[in-house]
Amino acid sequence: MWLMAPTETSRGGSPVFEQTRRQHQSSRFSTRSVQAPAAVLAGGVVGSALRAAIGEIFPVTDGRFPTTTLLVNLSGALLLGFYLARRQRAITARWSLQFWAIGGLGSFTTFSAFSFEVSRLVATGEGPIAIGYVLASLVGGLAAALLGQRLGRVVR
Amino acid sequence: MTILVAAIAGSIGALARYILAGAVHRGTGASLPVGTAAVNLTGSFLLGMILGAGDGTVWWTAAAGFTGGLTTFSTWMAETIGLGVVPRPSMYAVVNLAVLASLGVALAAFGYQLVG
Repeated sequence: MWLMAPTETSRGGSPVFEQTRRQHQSSRFSTRSVQAPAAVLAGGVVGSALRAAIGEIFPVTDGRFPTTTLLVNLSGALLLGFYLARRQRAITARWSLQFWAIGGLGSFTTFSAFSFEVSRLVATGEGPIAIGYVLASLVGGLAAALLGQRLGRVVR
Repeated sequence: MTILVAAIAGSIGALARYILAGAVHRGTGASLPVGTAAVNLTGSFLLGMILGAGDGTVWWTAAAGFTGGLTTFSTWMAETIGLGVVPRPSMYAVVNLAVLASLGVALAAFGYQLVG
């Protein structure tokens, strides 16, 4: 949905949830309604475990710039941009969106840690670090997702 | 052990996000990505409370891991791009970024204050 041609004027809604809605509408058998959540769960295990492992190796320290969360979030945004663009041109497995995009990359990246880290930086008087972190996350996140999208359109 | 607990709790959070965000998305007509906004804001508030009450037990790790799976940064960015950022960010894209970021930070701080 978010990959629509620039000439289209309608607003984007959600690229991820629109695609799942269409998939559900085309489903005939009720057993598939169990397979989609199962794919989300499986992807969620992988994404959450990866982020936890990276967090164990490179822990975020109070009062310091949260480099680990930033890099996890930016790389996840890049991979999701790539995945969604590829999905427009390639045939993917039936529950691929639920596994990779919603479960996997959805839980690999985190919004709650971002919010919490910013709130603690502000509360402990580290305003400049907080501002730098917010800007790096938002501008960097958009740039990463756009780069991923571009790559997904050209890579075979 | 931490990784195992975080993986299980995070996947349950992801499933909760899939169900909740999908329901909100369908229930609101979906011209704006409100489903993801809803889970992200809920998760920020919850994480603020959890870390405010922090005791380091396995349940605490699980609760924090749950909010990690419940919230998502990558979908937020993909949806913002869908609202139009090239060549010039649309108003919707700017609102989706600025409002969500500031509300998320405020809710995390509020949750932390509430229990701390």
